[in-house]
Amino acid sequence: MVGDPIGDYLPTLIRFVVLAVVVLGVSVGVHYVLRNVFHLKRDIAIGFSLITPWILGFLIFNLIPIVSTFVLSFTDYNLQQTPNFIGTQNYETLIGSDINFWPSIRLTVLYSVISVPISVTLSLLLSLVLSRNLKGIGVYRVLYYLPSIVPAVAVVLLWRWIFNPDVGLLNLILSPILNLTNTPSPDWFGDEKFVLPAFIIMSLWTALGNNTVIMLGARKGVAGDLYEAASIDGANSWTKFLRITIPMMTPAIFFLVVVEFASAMQLFTPAAFARATPAAGRFMNLLIYTYGFQQSRMGYATALAVILFLLILAATIVLFRSQARWVYYEGQER
Amino acid sequence: MPFNKKLAVTSLLLIMSLVLAACGDATNTSAPAAATTAAGSATTAAGSATTAAAGATTAAGGTATTAAAGGPKVELTMSIWAGVDEAKEFQAILDKVNASATTYHVTVQASPQDYMTKLQTGLASGTAADIFWVDVDNLSGLASKGSLLDLTDMVKNDKTHPAANLDDYFQGALDAGTYKSKLYGLPWISQPLVLYVNLDMFKAAGVNPPTNDWTWDDFLKAAQKLTVDTSGKTADDAAFNPKQIKQWGFTSNSADWPPTTMYIWQAGGKTISDDFKTSPIDSPEAVKGEQWYADLVNKYHVTPTATQVKDQGFDTMFTNGKVAMFVGGAADSLETRDGMKGQAQAFLVPKGPAGNRLTQAYIAFDAINAKSKNPQAAYTALADITDAIQKWKVPVPRKSLSTKEAIQKAQPKRPAASIDTIVAALPDAKAAPVYPGYAQWADIWNTQFIDPLFRGTDTAENLAKKVRPQLEATLPK
Repeated sequence: MVGDPIGDYLPTLIRFVVLAVVVLGVSVGVHYVLRNVFHLKRDIAIGFSLITPWILGFLIFNLIPIVSTFVLSFTDYNLQQTPNFIGTQNYETLIGSDINFWPSIRLTVLYSVISVPISVTLSLLLSLVLSRNLKGIGVYRVLYYLPSIVPAVAVVLLWRWIFNPDVGLLNLILSPILNLTNTPSPDWFGDEKFVLPAFIIMSLWTALGNNTVIMLGARKGVAGDLYEAASIDGANSWTKFLRITIPMMTPAIFFLVVVEFASAMQLFTPAAFARATPAAGRFMNLLIYTYGFQQSRMGYATALAVILFLLILAATIVLFRSQARWVYYEGQER
Repeated sequence: MPFNKKLAVTSLLLIMSLVLAACGDATNTSAPAAATTAAGSATTAAGSATTAAAGATTAAGGTATTAAAGGPKVELTMSIWAGVDEAKEFQAILDKVNASATTYHVTVQASPQDYMTKLQTGLASGTAADIFWVDVDNLSGLASKGSLLDLTDMVKNDKTHPAANLDDYFQGALDAGTYKSKLYGLPWISQPLVLYVNLDMFKAAGVNPPTNDWTWDDFLKAAQKLTVDTSGKTADDAAFNPKQIKQWGFTSNSADWPPTTMYIWQAGGKTISDDFKTSPIDSPEAVKGEQWYADLVNKYHVTPTATQVKDQGFDTMFTNGKVAMFVGGAADSLETRDGMKGQAQAFLVPKGPAGNRLTQAYIAFDAINAKSKNPQAAYTALADITDAIQKWKVPVPRKSLSTKEAIQKAQPKRPAASIDTIVAALPDAKAAPVYPGYAQWADIWNTQFIDPLFRGTDTAENLAKKVRPQLEATLPK
């Protein structure tokens, strides 16, 4: 039935306007309280009142869900009924007896630990090539960035075809070597041995574009006088690369490693659409989805989500702690 | 501009008054809605009084009833999993139901992808439809969580809708819609599995079509003759090259289709015991069925690999003439599907070593959201819609509609021989053993047992021993 578009939309519009007005009201209220109750300076009060909408957004859409996840992980929430508190039972079952848990951790961590360094190294090398002032370099930069703007599901479908064991492009390219060595064609998503390499290869294709743009920015930001000074001192290209280019680009490398690692640990779309054999384990985020939405065990799934969060947090802390050893910020004394 | 106290207070008051005004507006907007609902409830009450007349009119000929409801119709929503073509057919049926209805109007939303995920999140957030389709795998789970409306009394008191006459149903289908002695869904389909055969491919290979006495061995011999490599050798030839196959005798996929349960039953085994206490998948009978199925893929090479099936679509491989035999639902109508290469016909599946040809029945129900604001109107709509769907889908688990004539009327284009097969297959269709939490059992079954079995990484006997304790850990305590 075709409804009344204006009539159907009116309540939504009213809610939208009311929300905007309420947020504005809270902002003004914050300003009033800071000025008159806490007697803060005008600039500070205005600053806080202006960021109030974002703080509200963070509270509603980030902090409350994060806290809820932690709380729900100690319950038997099944999406339909009121959750009951069951202590640490979800965690005990996950770590103690869940057959999917350790293979999932293994696959997810291995994927992240292998794919991120390869992706960052390749993008660093590619950025060095793309930073040269060659004819038509703009076209190459666009070409390398293109995969990043293709929707993730389309990328996976494309790669499913490339990885097809019988008619796929990759096995076709590999066939001379495979025939020479009398090796059977790899069944990339169907054989547990090849699942991890397949996901890593697929991830490189998409991550490379984004990472290269960031690396290129960092490479272009390295001051030319450093190279000039080094040339005067007799440094060759390799020394310049090792002593100037790499150190000056470490902040960008550090940023990419942190962000890419967190993103790799949370891989979902390729995992959900590639339909790889579960024998290799399932990526943690896919397992969370399976438990939470396909089996309605939301409390159990949130416990797994908390473990995923803790793993990413631990890795991020280690990376931040390590930056004093290898990341060089301009103007910093060593 | 100095930002003083007076200005701040004035601004705050102004904003609060705006908020109140806006809220007031919203309240006013919802007031008629509330009134409408109240009227709707009144209408519903009246509706239930007039349901008898409306139902009788519908049953009599489906013409629009003249019974005045005395108020606006209650707006109801419905969720179905139909794909584009099926949804179009359903919409046409619903349009007729809506035109006849005096107390309600149903709007349908079809979600062929991730249907259950959408339904469950909708139920959790309170936005799920009033009426929805639910299948046998999920009904008891939803009922156990209180998400479905108990239909027992409504159906008992309904003397007008043919779909509410429980005496007319096969008991197995009703049992599948029942949880703890309460009825939660009216079944509109209970289809057995049949063996679709491409007769042209059989003829070309010089193989006789299946008979009602076919056993697993007969089936295997035919499948081997129909599996051909690129040099023209068949799968029963010693020189056959299983790496270069261009045509297959049969097809299955690694997502447990056709259901392995069917072969286990045919060999005399069980996946879950009748009391839901054990999962005897390692019994000699069960292992026989499991290994037979795996051997079709890995030993006899008469079916494409899991990856080939996933990439090319297994029913599509049958309609494209790449596969000669396919086990599908009786309602799939592959014989009349667009693009079907060759003449197809449905036959009974072959008998297993235990002498039976049991198949796993696919049963689907119409159910009502326990939180529907208009349960009475939703029930009237559900009964009307179920009546209509039962004339559309085959086979319906009702005795009066499971005749050759009724099925042929619902699907006039299908060959009469296929209709005979469907009628003959009905007594052997059995619902899978399902319980709340079955999804967890099914996940372990598919990922820990079926996947490695089909990939040939281990024997059915070894895998069954390993996986049985994992499956049993998920059974009701």
